[in-house]
Amino acid sequence: MTMQVLFKNRHPERIATLEEYCKSGGYEALEKALKKYSGSEIRSIALDALLLGRGGAGFPAGKKWMTVADNAPFPRFIVCNADEMEPGTFKDRVLIHADPHQIIEGMIIAGYSVFAERGIIFIRSSYENAARILEREVSNARQAGFLGKNILGSSFSMEITIHRSAGRYICGENTAQINAIQGKRANPIQPPPYATEKGLWNLPTVTHNVETLACVPHIIRNGHDWFKSLSRTSTGAGTKLYCVSGRVKNPGCFELPMGTRLSEIIEDHAGGLPPGYQYKTCLPGGASTRFLPKDLYDIEMDFESLKRAGHRLGTGSVIVFDQKTCLVGATLNMIDFFARESCGWCTPCREGIPFIRDILFRIENGEGKEEHISWLQRMSKFISNSYCALAPGAAAPVESLLTYFEDEVREHISQRKCPFIQKDMLS
Amino acid sequence: MPTLIIDDRKIEVTNGTMVIDAAEKAGIMIPRFCYHPALGSAGACRMCAVKFLDGPVQGLHMSCMVEAKNSMVVSTTDHEAVEFRRHVIELLMLNHPHDCPVCDEGGHCLLQDQTASSGHVMRRYSWKKRTFRDQYLGEFIQHEMNRCIHCYRCRRFYQEYSGYNDFGAMGIANRTYFGRFSDGSLQSPFSGNLIDLCPTGVLTDKKARFKARRWDLERAPSICIMCSLGCNTVVSSRYREIIRIEARHNRDVNGYFICDRGRFGFSFANNPERPRNVRIGTTSSTFDDALKYASSKLLDISKKYGSKAIVCMTSTNASVETHDSLKAISRNMNWQNPGFFMDRFQQSKITAAVERLKKDIAISLKDVENADFILATGADPVNEAPMLALAMRQANRRGAKIVILDPRPVVLPFKFEHLSQTPHNIDSSLHGLIKNITENNEFEATGERIKKSLHPAIICGTEITGLSTVNLTADIAVLLKAAGKKAGLFYLMQGANSFGAALAAKGSMPFTEILERIDKGEIKALILIESSFPYDFSDQELVKNALKKLELLVVFDYMPGYILEMANIVVPTLTHFETGSSFINQEGRLQKTCPSYQAGTPLSQVSCGKHPPREFRKDIPGSGAKAAWEIIHELEKAMTRTNSQNI
Repeated sequence: MTMQVLFKNRHPERIATLEEYCKSGGYEALEKALKKYSGSEIRSIALDALLLGRGGAGFPAGKKWMTVADNAPFPRFIVCNADEMEPGTFKDRVLIHADPHQIIEGMIIAGYSVFAERGIIFIRSSYENAARILEREVSNARQAGFLGKNILGSSFSMEITIHRSAGRYICGENTAQINAIQGKRANPIQPPPYATEKGLWNLPTVTHNVETLACVPHIIRNGHDWFKSLSRTSTGAGTKLYCVSGRVKNPGCFELPMGTRLSEIIEDHAGGLPPGYQYKTCLPGGASTRFLPKDLYDIEMDFESLKRAGHRLGTGSVIVFDQKTCLVGATLNMIDFFARESCGWCTPCREGIPFIRDILFRIENGEGKEEHISWLQRMSKFISNSYCALAPGAAAPVESLLTYFEDEVREHISQRKCPFIQKDMLS
Repeated sequence: MPTLIIDDRKIEVTNGTMVIDAAEKAGIMIPRFCYHPALGSAGACRMCAVKFLDGPVQGLHMSCMVEAKNSMVVSTTDHEAVEFRRHVIELLMLNHPHDCPVCDEGGHCLLQDQTASSGHVMRRYSWKKRTFRDQYLGEFIQHEMNRCIHCYRCRRFYQEYSGYNDFGAMGIANRTYFGRFSDGSLQSPFSGNLIDLCPTGVLTDKKARFKARRWDLERAPSICIMCSLGCNTVVSSRYREIIRIEARHNRDVNGYFICDRGRFGFSFANNPERPRNVRIGTTSSTFDDALKYASSKLLDISKKYGSKAIVCMTSTNASVETHDSLKAISRNMNWQNPGFFMDRFQQSKITAAVERLKKDIAISLKDVENADFILATGADPVNEAPMLALAMRQANRRGAKIVILDPRPVVLPFKFEHLSQTPHNIDSSLHGLIKNITENNEFEATGERIKKSLHPAIICGTEITGLSTVNLTADIAVLLKAAGKKAGLFYLMQGANSFGAALAAKGSMPFTEILERIDKGEIKALILIESSFPYDFSDQELVKNALKKLELLVVFDYMPGYILEMANIVVPTLTHFETGSSFINQEGRLQKTCPSYQAGTPLSQVSCGKHPPREFRKDIPGSGAKAAWEIIHELEKAMTRTNSQNI
């Protein structure tokens, strides 16, 4: 078992209580931050710790806090993005169900670093249980004096509200989420101005993923060098929650050092593939990342290494496919999701994704033609010119399918059926 | 001032100009759907993609989302950009019903034009087309949601620009629906602009439905005469009938939009009851005979009672030409000065307003949009001058504070402070305000705000306010101007040409006084020219009795009514749609209309449903009407002729 930081208090079928959390060193970081450090010191610690946003983009958290100008108006907002809807990703839910207080503590410290006194946890509507847990634990934290006016005797005050999403994938996008919280249509807004300058109600707003915020107290308590030492690679820092699903024996969410090799995650932690199945490919970071070719099976799973290989770590949610799974069908399934979840703002996403779905559907059902491949290529190329990052993300599996598994697509077309469907399967 | 190169052309633009606008300045029209100068950039349609070859931004980007910067080199014809735009058109046409032959937008449809120019001919998408249920949106706007290309123009105008919330976007992905929560009339008095804004046939003019294609129409620039603002319009007509009115861009007056009253209020010109024939008594006559008869009658009265027993009466809605010719004939014939206003009170207020409106403080609607503080006294913008409400909303969106000093329950599509004062107390409030601006006193909050503002706009209505209010508001504007602010004064007046009337009305009698004099027997002949005052007067019995006492009642009008039945002579006139005429709006701006069509009874009214008409004739049915000023000129000529014959 590797070092458990975020999952230190993870118990099967039980949520860590406030006492347990405090016993394991919880809220020490908050006290340390409020008494020992100034806001700008915390910002530079986070920057030194190389804390990269865990929501998918991998933007340095310290850098994000530094974009809030010292003379920016008040009140400022800190938003915890718990609208986890990326297919294959469930780390935030596990984290909230394991040890919710580290998220609350992380939010308070992050809030203190930018003097944001209003915290909002934007949570996916289907995570009703998690929302209730957070509501309960926020009120426990308030009773214990960690939230409210003059926290732990300092001059810093903060309140946290739990906001349930109306439930759409696009609400997980930073700027769309800001619109959603304000009660507007959840359409993204193209910067500038950035949300840290003009976000909620035109006030500075800092949004972080659940996991990013959960890392913050540990960094403050143990220092940035310790946090960096947790990682296997020099470009990464800390631990990462890897969610493994798909064709593995033992799917689940594992806390491993950042930069753990993919092969190790699949074989040692997820138990490898069941007997009779061989590894074909995987999506390394949820449905909006590219399929990994077989030769990258040993890749170190951190933001930098995947970027260098032309891929994205995304949320670190590994979806494993075996040799008997039809990738055209799998991509069609994902594209179906994205076609449904497009916000409807820009044309390449709103109309382009359904068009891709149409072509994939035809190929999967034996009506594919040779020219469809060039259509798909053209469309997945042009989709990069859409308004926000959702559409290029949605096209990533399609584009990589054509790059690495063109033969499989061509087989569909030449056989005029899906080669993975056996006759006996249909009967 | 950034200088950039677009398609090998060097262009210098002001800071903050988007590339799409910069290109337009150089005459390069980049295709677009969602971008509209008044609504700003949205980046939704992705149609305006251009290739940035060099400079701070490079690669394929939307020209509506990138600000023009120095050393940019932009190509609108780059292969990649053209291919991408072709791709966008293909995507937009995936679910389009291809119902151009039965679509009213056909012929002036942006989607049609850009699809044709992109060369898109074949639909490669094989799924069933997405369909929507259409809604009933009231009597003016037809909804046909299947044609939608999701440019969000309608929602952005309706909710963001005009400030109403009963129409908007619902649902997500390609099921996004633009409509109301349930069927019903649109609440916004600016809803008609959706017709102009929609780049395809989702929102079309219901009144004009199935009547004509764009190329069938006779179109001419015109001016709206529904209120004093003088918004610019384009009038489209066919077969001697107005089909629709659209907004015409005028940067300083109405911008890109007009209100629904201006857009749909043209039925008076198509009215089947409209007087079309010259009449003497109840028998129809010719134009020359009628004028001959009128002049001999007028000369008789002149001889019998003196020339001062004759008076002409027009209204604040008649054109400058009409006003002018009336003054001329009255002066030359030594009649009473012609009447322009309803009553002395109104006349004095508007005359005062015109006098106070000096060049340095008079502001246009555009300036109201740029004000950072607005005080409106005795004004109900949505009802008195709707486009003013829209301009005030734009100022409000840019951060202006707005204070309304009015006794009525004023409703406006934005947040404002309503100081509800009785008409009686308005003046004392203004006095308090002046005191506060000069010293420090009550009305502190408002006074402070005015003091802090740089571009205060003072608006004053002339309907419910007193003469002193008109002067006081001007005093405030002058005071603020003297304090070094870019202060502006904006009056509202009744009637499209009140300003012109006030200029001509020196020494003239208002309608109420004419009535009194008729009653007293001092006036024996009345010439009514395009005046609605007799109908607007509260005591209709009094009007009827007075008119009965006249020896001669001559009416030149395009509106039907009981007074025409009472008249001894009726000569039909032309509306401003049918004759070129000028109007001076409330800020003193002279604007001219152009004739849109040859007047006459609409074909739909003469053909009894048969088309084309089966009988041949040389003249146009119902074309006996002439412009009011022309009739007056002819009358003057006829009178001089008759006079010399008699001598």
